[in-house]
Amino acid sequence: MMPTTGAPGGLLAGHPSRTTAALTGAAFALVALLVLVPLANIAVELASTDGAQALGDVFAGRIARNMLWVPLVNTFTIGFAVALACVVLGGVMAWLVTMTDLPLRRPIGVLAALPFMIPTFAVALSWTVVFGDDRLGPAAAGMLMQLGVDVPGWLAWGGIPVTVVLIAHLYSIAYLMIAAALVLVGRDLTAAAEIAGAPRNRILRAIVFPVVTPSVVAAGALCFAEAVSSFSAPAILGLPVRFHTLATRAYGAIETGSPERGYVLIAVMIVTAALFLALAAALQRRGQSFATVGGQGSRRGRMPLGRWRWPLALAALVVVVATTVLPALVLLLSSFSSQSGNPFASLTTHYWIGASDPAIAQGQEGVLRNPQLIRATVVTLGVGLATGAAALLAALVIGLAIGRLRGRFPAGLLQQLSFLPLLIPGLAIGAACIGFYGAPVGPLPALYGTPAILVIAGVAATLPFAVQSVVSARAQIAPELEDSARIAGAGPPRVLAAITLPLALPKLIAGFVLVFVKMVRDLDLVILLYTPQLPLLTVVAFRYASDGFAQFAHAVTVVILLVSVLAHLAASGFGRATQPWLRD
Amino acid sequence: MIIKPFPITPGKASLAAAVCGLLLAAPASAEPPADLIAAAEAEGQVVVYSFTSRVFRVETAFEAAYPNIDLVPFDISSTEQIARITAELGAGIQSADVAYLADAPIVYDALVAPGHLLPFVPPAFADRIPDAFETPLLAHRLSTKVLMYNEEAHPDGAPVDNLWQLTLPDWTGRVVMVDPSTRGDYLDLLTEIVLQSDAMAAAYEAQFGMPIALDDDVTNAGEQFIKDLLENDVVFVSSTDDVNAAVGAIGQDNPPIGFTSYSDRRDNEEEGWALQVANDVAPAPGIIYPAFLGVLSNAPHPSAAELLITFMMGDDSETGGPALAPFYVPGDYLTRVDLAPHPDAIPLDDFNAWRIQPQPTAALRQDVADLVLSLQ
Repeated sequence: MMPTTGAPGGLLAGHPSRTTAALTGAAFALVALLVLVPLANIAVELASTDGAQALGDVFAGRIARNMLWVPLVNTFTIGFAVALACVVLGGVMAWLVTMTDLPLRRPIGVLAALPFMIPTFAVALSWTVVFGDDRLGPAAAGMLMQLGVDVPGWLAWGGIPVTVVLIAHLYSIAYLMIAAALVLVGRDLTAAAEIAGAPRNRILRAIVFPVVTPSVVAAGALCFAEAVSSFSAPAILGLPVRFHTLATRAYGAIETGSPERGYVLIAVMIVTAALFLALAAALQRRGQSFATVGGQGSRRGRMPLGRWRWPLALAALVVVVATTVLPALVLLLSSFSSQSGNPFASLTTHYWIGASDPAIAQGQEGVLRNPQLIRATVVTLGVGLATGAAALLAALVIGLAIGRLRGRFPAGLLQQLSFLPLLIPGLAIGAACIGFYGAPVGPLPALYGTPAILVIAGVAATLPFAVQSVVSARAQIAPELEDSARIAGAGPPRVLAAITLPLALPKLIAGFVLVFVKMVRDLDLVILLYTPQLPLLTVVAFRYASDGFAQFAHAVTVVILLVSVLAHLAASGFGRATQPWLRD
Repeated sequence: MIIKPFPITPGKASLAAAVCGLLLAAPASAEPPADLIAAAEAEGQVVVYSFTSRVFRVETAFEAAYPNIDLVPFDISSTEQIARITAELGAGIQSADVAYLADAPIVYDALVAPGHLLPFVPPAFADRIPDAFETPLLAHRLSTKVLMYNEEAHPDGAPVDNLWQLTLPDWTGRVVMVDPSTRGDYLDLLTEIVLQSDAMAAAYEAQFGMPIALDDDVTNAGEQFIKDLLENDVVFVSSTDDVNAAVGAIGQDNPPIGFTSYSDRRDNEEEGWALQVANDVAPAPGIIYPAFLGVLSNAPHPSAAELLITFMMGDDSETGGPALAPFYVPGDYLTRVDLAPHPDAIPLDDFNAWRIQPQPTAALRQDVADLVLSLQ
């Protein structure tokens, strides 16, 4: 293990080669098409007369306080709280699973990767089913209250439940990223330190922390950005107490016919969050990056937890079950309930397999009889796979360019730009894609109504995840490996194929699965892009929900859950491929 | 209409002549012209954007009547339809044929003025619909956002008789409505309350026995009401069904009250609700507004679009037949004057809700939205 700051050695040093120039050009072209177009679209809106008026209203009008400042504080308070909690929770889980002799670490590890596969709106809905109070009428009270527990208002609605739901959803990103870094810490090193008599906290401080710092910062940044631009959790859990974030305010503005104000808020969201992320990037640079996949390296010996083994295993189990199995069960149960919002009503299979009955939900058939659902499942899977592959290809180009430009200005710029889509709400990316790719562009035909536009929007929205997986995979491959291959006479393509790709594969697969799953469970992004010929599962669920057919919506959400979780488990070989640390 | 053949006798012949005379005097038959049907069947499909899920029942009825035409229903809120149609026409994309939507104040400026959405009044119905409901778009029916209460808990009538009572401690945290910052129809409701400030001021005096005194930050009685309502911790939710469940769920001792659609009362039995409209509340229970049918200017199936609109206006029977069955419910007021009023609904003439005024509402809407925002 060696720090690799300063000038990179070997053939990577010196002036950019022609390959580097070509890669850089391609990378910037991709970023421009995928990221800058949506941004330009927003900028054009703001530059109009209405945009200038909206800027004045939002920043200085009588609405400024409740439209901008209070939601701004809410948004970033949630962002920081979620990022911090996710890094701590995900980090501890990652440490327990990869570095210690925790019992049941394999099932715990498999489950800990799942919360990110569950749609946020599903977790938020199941929160209300459990913790809701009687603010929406006694009949809508959650299970706890119906069992006689006095649920305080702050636990039912507002910032605290939003934060908790987002943590429950996002900590698994932090877990995956930090575990992937931790597993590369040579356990022989920690074992050696232990033999030398170093106390546990000193091992953590001196060996583990420095190596995982880049991943921790990156994980924190991802969780922060996701939390800041999240819409569905604050929309569901904040509204009844008028708790707003920038995303819910922007959505409201667009919905009530003042899109310019929505774009002002989106711009504020992007700029402010970009500032924080730049700060994080600076921290990451100072924290240096470490090459950890050396030519040698062994992983033997796990840190013994002693008498804490079982209490810690139990705590970890509670966390993973409460964030995966529990929400799924709550939704499943409510999809069988004969009355929406009342999990204790009599049970029925109508919403799954029932024939059309004019008295129920305008004669809607059970979801499994709905031909739209089967079509939606096929389209969703196809679009998810295509987006995963396309996003990874784009990210490889961008990631390799960043790697080659290491330390130079364009690398930082590329990385920042490819991170930006995280801060643009899916709705805005979708709208921008309709505007730009919907009509014919030059020789290209209009893409509206084709799967291509869904894939383009999907690649744009998931680029940060794909690029992050490529960059972090690449950052941890020691240059001397590639260098020695080159010295032995291998050309760049062969180095890539023989050394870089195989070593980076676990992280690339993890990136692919993340993109696929995000696409399968995402709603905001596709709501403006889908057409009747191209139904998507989340849209079907959303349509049911907005028609007040809660049970149908929950049933489809359960299908989405199954698809994304099973796809994830299959693609990852029950964690074997994406979580190699679970193998031993 | 099916007429059974029967043997003609002199007596029957004169009867038949009399019937024919009646039919000739009556408006043209609702049956669409044969050439329209032929053209529509040649197109084979019709795509509808609808703001109500009842379009699924229209689909069933339409495809039963015209098995050769596939109706593709698309349930989208009015606001989203406006965004979608604007984006699609701007990009030159052909998608839907018919739009079925409310949000009148925005529809005029955003869709009708630029020519995105074109009016179509089926000739057979021109004489059966008041002129006011034929321009600038054909109004299919009138929908509502009104104060509803739980009639199981209050069998003797509404627990309030004046809107101002909603600002009193009895109703703190117990008035439910959809967030007007996210839904156009609820914003229209609050806008109408401001437009009706004189009536609101009179109702204030009737309730409290003294003229209203305005706070410094409001300019009329309507704004004062909105301020007082928000300060009384009104509960904002995200959909009308959340309002319906909160207000209407049976088995409540002291249910909240809320603003929702009168026609949601039709779901009482299915959902376990006891929703009833507080029609006698002063000065008015809420608003009543039109739901429009229009043809998109670049409709890929223009004949099928006209056929569908003709179909959706119903047949010659007293209740409009299967096409209107989803809408022939208490709380929806069809614009056709030749239909029998629904027996279980308050007749339109006795219904006290304010008719929204699209132009003044459009002008004031943003201001009211800002007021609500600034007060939260």
